[in-house]
Amino acid sequence: MQVTTHTGSNPDKRATRLPRSRGSRKTRLVAWAFIAPAAIAYAGFVLVPLLMSVYYSFLRWDGIGKARFNGLANYITVVTDPDLLQIIGNSFLLVLYFTVIPVGLGLAVASAIRSHMGGPFGTATRTILFLPQVIPLVAAGIAWSWMYASSGLVNQFLRTIGLDSWARGWLGDFTFALPAVGMIGAWVLLGLCIMLLVTGITKIDPSLYEAARLDGANAWDEFRYVTLPGLRQEIGVCVTVTIIQALAAFDIVYIATGGGPGINTTVPGLEIYRLAFAHRQVGLASALAIVLMILVLISIAPVQWLTREKK
Amino acid sequence: MNAKLQSLLARALIVILMGVTLLPFLSMFSAALAPSGTYPYGLQWPSDPQWINFVKAFEVANMGQLLLSSTLIVVGVVPVSVLVSTMAGYGLAKLTSDKYKWLYLIFVAGLTLPFEAVITPLYYEVRALGLLNTRFAIILPLIGLYMPFSVYWMRAHFLNVPKDLTEAAQLDGATRWGEFWRVQVPLARPAIMSLSILLFLWTWNQFLLPVVLVRDPMQRTMAGALGAFQGQWGTDVPLLCAGSLMILAPTIILFLLFQRQFVAALMQGAVKG
Amino acid sequence: MAGLELKDIRKSYGNVEVIKGVDLSIAHGEFVVFVGPSGCGKSTLLRMIAGLEDITGGDIHIGDRLVNDVEPRDRGVAMVFQSYALYPHMTVYDNVGFALKLAKTDKQVRDKKIREVAQVLQMEELLDRKPAQLSGGQRQRVAIGRAIVREPEVFLFDEPLSNLDAALRVDMRMELSRLHADLGATMIYVTHDQVEAMTLADKIVVLDNGIVQQIGSPLELYNRPANLFVAGFIGSPKMNILPVDVLETAENTITIAGTTIEKTTLPCASASIQAGSGLTLGLRPQAFVADPEGVLKGKVELVERLGHETIIRIRLKDETTVTAALVGQSDLEPGDMASLGFKPEEAHLFNASGERI
Repeated sequence: MQVTTHTGSNPDKRATRLPRSRGSRKTRLVAWAFIAPAAIAYAGFVLVPLLMSVYYSFLRWDGIGKARFNGLANYITVVTDPDLLQIIGNSFLLVLYFTVIPVGLGLAVASAIRSHMGGPFGTATRTILFLPQVIPLVAAGIAWSWMYASSGLVNQFLRTIGLDSWARGWLGDFTFALPAVGMIGAWVLLGLCIMLLVTGITKIDPSLYEAARLDGANAWDEFRYVTLPGLRQEIGVCVTVTIIQALAAFDIVYIATGGGPGINTTVPGLEIYRLAFAHRQVGLASALAIVLMILVLISIAPVQWLTREKK
Repeated sequence: MNAKLQSLLARALIVILMGVTLLPFLSMFSAALAPSGTYPYGLQWPSDPQWINFVKAFEVANMGQLLLSSTLIVVGVVPVSVLVSTMAGYGLAKLTSDKYKWLYLIFVAGLTLPFEAVITPLYYEVRALGLLNTRFAIILPLIGLYMPFSVYWMRAHFLNVPKDLTEAAQLDGATRWGEFWRVQVPLARPAIMSLSILLFLWTWNQFLLPVVLVRDPMQRTMAGALGAFQGQWGTDVPLLCAGSLMILAPTIILFLLFQRQFVAALMQGAVKG
Repeated sequence: MAGLELKDIRKSYGNVEVIKGVDLSIAHGEFVVFVGPSGCGKSTLLRMIAGLEDITGGDIHIGDRLVNDVEPRDRGVAMVFQSYALYPHMTVYDNVGFALKLAKTDKQVRDKKIREVAQVLQMEELLDRKPAQLSGGQRQRVAIGRAIVREPEVFLFDEPLSNLDAALRVDMRMELSRLHADLGATMIYVTHDQVEAMTLADKIVVLDNGIVQQIGSPLELYNRPANLFVAGFIGSPKMNILPVDVLETAENTITIAGTTIEKTTLPCASASIQAGSGLTLGLRPQAFVADPEGVLKGKVELVERLGHETIIRIRLKDETTVTAALVGQSDLEPGDMASLGFKPEEAHLFNASGERI
């Protein structure tokens, strides 16, 4: 009898004490106190504007007068208007230059050097290759505008080697303006990719290469079966960073070409700016902004998925 | 033997790439020394180097005022962003359970957000706040826009700090706030340094926000001012080149002085994924 | 003056209960060791005493004070962590003095206390170094110093020696014993190493699966293990376990036999035992003697000669093995047939549910 009352009262006692004051509530409060300032800044200047962007994207609004609900019309324009489609296409063409050239050259350098770059040579390499990362993209744009100018270094070089007929005003050329802009991006991102990949390759155990050679691998096999898998993460980083830079390009294009000739080098970032602040089509600008954001996410998701660390 | 040849080839390739990297700067430098108003060649040592161009550009660009403006903006953005994100990183890594993972995920959701995606509403928001054409139009939004990366960065750091240290501090009598300042922040110094360098660079070089939100170049960042400078003097190549180089000089000098820290920060910063 | 009282302490993570009602009282100045296999809940229990883990149910008193809802810093406990948890950015001096600094102790007093502790632990010359410049043993000292300097009522040690090499571990063990004698404070010590438990403890608490298996002095646990778990856990090499059947019972003796053991009579409180029931016989390796008339016979598989004793493993006819530690040097070789007897008073009997009889 006594035993039953004892065991009967015990769980009750525990149950009444279960919602414990210490730990749960106070800890949560302290946690929020630490997180709140950042959360407020983030909410105020990222989340709220983002939601407003979504809201604007359904409006027909010149930014001053009365706004009208416009349904999905803005989005439909984005995906059907030939100019806007070309502009989005331009940004994907830029990916070819921004991403493929730096990553390709980076892989070539890394797999050739395959060791840590120390000493004065290493320091010089690091310093110089990182210069474009430190300067504003605007400066890169100005520098290259000058390089591509009719009396600039590129043409000077072509004339020196006797290719006078190739010389031209590159950034005003309908065919070559976009590749020229792309090369500016490649120039900016090259150093970063090289250094990331060279650092990455030094982390690959050298005995893997020796083992591969003993297994009869040639240089290509080594690259294919040792270097590439070993650098998977670093390649992922390079590709992700460069894709974002290409799709969200603004500064370089704004300075170097202003989007011209025609709309040959216009990219979504520049078009958003123009639509919103020059053409006063806030709704369409916002729809393009949302589409751009989604395009960035869609483009890097597979990269992240393919190169993430397998646990 | 073979390896040696390969390494030599790699070095040759690197030297070429270094050359390509440097050429635009050299070309600008040579043009900057040509007589103002002329149309020089890409790379050519001028017969009569016009060093005066730099003095002229300094005055025309109002470099003193520009430096001040950029510095004010950096001072407004970087310390606040670093402090606020360090606190949040600590809070997310050490004070919350997995139940609050969603909060962290909301923060990192902004990692890939292009600034262009929010620039339009930011304009109206800043205008509503009455901050248009002031430095706060750049400072406040930048703090918010840096949060995803900064919080992600600091949280990653705090996740690697052993739990034992927190507990030891608790037993030693530290409150959460005391532990944060006396134990966690001193330990986080390297992470905080790198973050500060990155935020400094990104702020100094920020272009879109100043162009949209601040009309007066004297209230802008260096990059924003450079854009205005180009618009104004774009046709005078020697002056433009001299001005651009001068506007670049502060960052490049800082970079050369703290080369190791900058490179480390930029490399780690890229790995954010 | 602080003992410790745990009443029906419980801990759950979600639906999983990891501490299932622990009752324990610890007198002031006692050295208590929690021992058990990894995952048994011993560290969790220690951390609940420290206040680092919330308790799901029950009460903890330190001294006369109910501390369930008291912050760790206000409990008057100090803890030495397995990883030492030294603040890497502070010198040894600052590490030791950190708690005093937080308590806003006067600078002179603080300095005096730190130097006293450094002297006690013979680490005066280390005071200006950072933890990274210290060896494992030195870090250990600093961690202990950090605990001592606060003059806590209760010291908590979470496997403090597990990161040291074997020789250092023996030294530090002795040092801890000395420290306990000098300070006279209550100490609670968690380890999975039974040698540490046996050598340090006034009282050992054996835990398994969140339940206290037995509480007692080291020799009590060794001589009278309460159940099969404790019997197997304490003592090295492990106790041999053999299933046996009860043949007959008499007053204070029973007679047993098994497939591998011949009929033998043991002293035993036999009141509750019925002939024909199955029991478990536990024999420590040290209980065996070489005896041609012995009740256990098997083929020698392994011989380890340690000089003062010889450890042999023999395979019995049902293919199970028995380990014996024979005093002195034996001339048995692998492959020989061995015949072992044992001292009846050293036999342990357990019932079907594993409890000691």
